Amino acid sequence: MKQKMNQIKKNGIGQFLVTLLPFAALVVLFGLFVGVVSMKGYRLDMYLQIVFNEGVVLAVVATGAIFIYTLGTFDISLGAATLFAATMGVLAYNATENMGLMILAIFASGIICSLLNSVLASVFHIPAFVTTVAMMSVLTAVASQIITTKGGALGGISIPSVVVKDMDEPAFKIVLLAVFFLACFFIFNLTKAGRRQKFIGGNPVCAELTGIQFNKYTILAFTIAGIGVGLGAFLTLIYTPSVTTTTASSVGMNIFIAIVFGGMPISGGARSKIYASLVGGFSFMLLNDILDLVIDSSAAYGITQLISAVFFLAVVYVTSMNYRTQMLPR
Amino acid sequence: MSIPKRFLGTIAIPLISFIILEALCLRHGSHIITNMRSFDNFVVYVAIVMITTIALSINLNSGRFDFSLGSMAALSAVIGAKITYAVLGGGEGSAFMMLAVTVVAGAILGLISGCVYVVLRIPPIITSLGVTLIYEGIMYTITEGKYLRVEVQNASMSGFVSTWKYAFAIIVLVLVAAIVIFDHSRFGYDYKALKDGQKVAVNTGINEVKNALGCYAICGGLMGIVGFLNAARNTTINGGQLNFGSIAIMFTAFLPMFIGSYISRFTNERIGFLLAAVTMSLLNSTFAVFSNEVTASMQSIINAVLLVVFLIYLNNEKLLVRIFSKK
Amino acid sequence: MKKRLTKILSLLVVGAMTAATFVGCGSTGKEADGGSSDGAKIGVLVADVSGEEAQGFRNYYEKYIAENYDVEFTYTDALESAEDEKAAIEKFASQGCDAIISLSSSDRAQQIETCEKYGVYYAIASGVLDSEQYETYKGYEHFVGQVGPSNETEFEAGKEMGEYFKKQGTKSVAIYGAFIPNPMHVYRAAGVLVGLGCTYGGASDMDAIVGQIFADQGITLSKVAGDTQVVAYLQGYGDTTTDELNAAIQKNPEAFISVGMATTFFTQTLNEAGIQFSDIDSFTEANGAAIKDGKLVYLAGKYSSSIGPVFALVMNAINGNVIRDEDGNAVSVSQGYLVATDADSFDSFYLSDKGTNPIFSKDVLDTVIGDDVTFADVKALIESK
Repeated sequence: MKQKMNQIKKNGIGQFLVTLLPFAALVVLFGLFVGVVSMKGYRLDMYLQIVFNEGVVLAVVATGAIFIYTLGTFDISLGAATLFAATMGVLAYNATENMGLMILAIFASGIICSLLNSVLASVFHIPAFVTTVAMMSVLTAVASQIITTKGGALGGISIPSVVVKDMDEPAFKIVLLAVFFLACFFIFNLTKAGRRQKFIGGNPVCAELTGIQFNKYTILAFTIAGIGVGLGAFLTLIYTPSVTTTTASSVGMNIFIAIVFGGMPISGGARSKIYASLVGGFSFMLLNDILDLVIDSSAAYGITQLISAVFFLAVVYVTSMNYRTQMLPR
Repeated sequence: MSIPKRFLGTIAIPLISFIILEALCLRHGSHIITNMRSFDNFVVYVAIVMITTIALSINLNSGRFDFSLGSMAALSAVIGAKITYAVLGGGEGSAFMMLAVTVVAGAILGLISGCVYVVLRIPPIITSLGVTLIYEGIMYTITEGKYLRVEVQNASMSGFVSTWKYAFAIIVLVLVAAIVIFDHSRFGYDYKALKDGQKVAVNTGINEVKNALGCYAICGGLMGIVGFLNAARNTTINGGQLNFGSIAIMFTAFLPMFIGSYISRFTNERIGFLLAAVTMSLLNSTFAVFSNEVTASMQSIINAVLLVVFLIYLNNEKLLVRIFSKK
Repeated sequence: MKKRLTKILSLLVVGAMTAATFVGCGSTGKEADGGSSDGAKIGVLVADVSGEEAQGFRNYYEKYIAENYDVEFTYTDALESAEDEKAAIEKFASQGCDAIISLSSSDRAQQIETCEKYGVYYAIASGVLDSEQYETYKGYEHFVGQVGPSNETEFEAGKEMGEYFKKQGTKSVAIYGAFIPNPMHVYRAAGVLVGLGCTYGGASDMDAIVGQIFADQGITLSKVAGDTQVVAYLQGYGDTTTDELNAAIQKNPEAFISVGMATTFFTQTLNEAGIQFSDIDSFTEANGAAIKDGKLVYLAGKYSSSIGPVFALVMNAINGNVIRDEDGNAVSVSQGYLVATDADSFDSFYLSDKGTNPIFSKDVLDTVIGDDVTFADVKALIESK
């Protein structure tokens, strides 16, 4: 009995250490990054800003997306939704020259896009991943049509850079990121809604049998994801006040990487962690930038991706060590 | 189910699609198939869609989501093109050699992808993300991010897709092979058992790892054919597809996969995929007729809307039947 | 057992990360060398890494200029968006680049503003700003200038190409609009229509047609009327391009007129279909093969060293001689196109701009690199070639 208790205790410590691994990876990567940039003689302050700007949009969109992934489903249209929301924001500003209305249009677009997915998934019973594939095509095509039609000779649409110039500061972005993250943290960890979402993701049948309304929490998850999309679109516009057809194109798939890199299982459930997107998103960007700096070749971008993918698989393997099943996972 | 009913159920979707699309084309003063060249394109497109759909369905039916199909197709084509060009320099027989090399390369890439999955034992959706990034990275490294052109621009390659005959032969071969492997072999029986009840199947002694590796290798080989056909048709291979740029090919197979699954209620699933591919090719040929009016963006929207509408129907079929029968 | 394995793997991951650092320490790559070099560092923004023209330009800078001057070029990957461009400029700036030459045009205004913010010289080597943008930015301290075909030159190049087919008696054509709404492609396409003797939406002058193409974001065939029938139109390059090209070929045009990139993407297919075609690109080996053995019958092109003068402007700025035009603004000089319609005329341009002996050779460029060089010198040289 005592031996068994010790075993449980040991497993608990092991699990705790594995939980810490994404944080440790982030710290190590940050140290490496600082070292490499310094050794190269490049400007560290600028490089840190670059990494932050690259990671912040991914981090906010992925933080919202965690609520969807926790339910055991996923949404690959979030990048396209970010593009669409940014497009709507530019149109709203150019029509009204009102910053408030621009922000309203951005968030409304993000939430509506996301809710449309949830309606199709929960009301029409279509698998969420398929609806999001369709939505990705539709949103990209519609946004592209608007951008090319309104963009004219410039090939993209934009708002005057002075409108957002003052906001293109790390401090402002950090505040936005912190507020959104803390709000999500609160909902995810300290409310009934967050706990129930984890329950649904872990065992939807049991959750339903205990009277939890699946549709209600699906809509809530997609709404929060929509807010994340809106914030991501707003931050995108702050960084570059112009929107082209490829704006935010990599965000959709990078969310997967960020979440998994941050130590959360893609299957969602009780092991979901709200911080995964933040830790994973910035770790992934740091890793890419380190490799980008270190590798010098005409094919550097390819080698960078290759190595970061191997790291990705290695990290996922280590963080999921305690959850191995006898059969092949699906 | 009676034979006439099965027959009607089998051909209903392609037939109705043909009637509607041909009527649209006639209003435009044309036909879906306007000439022999258009027929050649039609058959080649059927081959590409059918094979991609079969490859997608093999793993997806077993609950294994595989993002790496597109990267396998592109990387195997790059390998095939490079090796073939090194040996034949774009001369006679290049197409057949590249097809053979690409299929082998695709099967090996598929097998590697499967090995990553069974060794790491992490969910296939995650391994496929990693594998996609790795394959894209390798492809970029080989091509330096450029389009591969010289290696695939020769008379042998363009001759291969300028006639319907080779594509037709590939369709027949793939279809027969898929039906034999998945419906009439021990491998196929195991596959079905694992698909329908993983735990029970494993407990009865079926070697799940062996079967999964086989599935991945077959997927890879099939995507090799797709990679080859795309390279011959486009006369280029885009080597610069980083950051999941290669996954779009997978999404194009969703609609035919669901159509094929519906048709499979009346016939063999693989035949269903063929007929679904024919339906998609009819749509594609109609887009060609309307190419001056329907832009690429519009085509994306139409395809996405069709996918959603079809799925709404499929997932609410009983409800819809009840509503309409009440009326 | 499992725990031990976890530990081992964790160590492996961390170890591999540490190893990556050592790889970095030991790197003898271009960037590492560049950090300690006294030579000029120039970042190049590119959107296309595959096109014939893009590769010709890159070879000229990396294989000729870099060997003849104390300069190091760092290229980006194919940039896809305005965010990519801005991040690339920021990275170049933090790496200590002295100047940036742009061959990418997602958001040129943003590029200029970002370079101004970080105090990095900036020049455009492909395409030009539209007149409104040029007016806005011509006074920026770090905007060195732009050297390339002006929009009017692009229109004329398209017009001459259209006229060529009209004179041949061509009755039906397909048009490839390349990357409309890229302004250079819009102007070329407008020129093609005029050259073919067609009107667009009833208009036949440059500004009216260009305005409509920008508004339509392409050519709407129902608006084309005139001597030559345009049976098909396509633009862009993506998943559906092959289908669109096949659809165009199915309409049996006598000629396929492209305003850019057709020689990169469509040569084989058009040769196989037996359709004569034309393009506005550059004089490279592959295009030579297409005109000698294939169906390419008309090529308006730039030679690969045509981006030499931009380099000269940038080098002067880095060395402290920021050249300004007569009004004290950033330089803006137009370059023309050369036209080849057969193997001989092609060779006359291609062979004179080859490898170690480009048209803008070191000897030629040295005449416009120096402390006393003026705008008039640079302009005269560009216009003489």
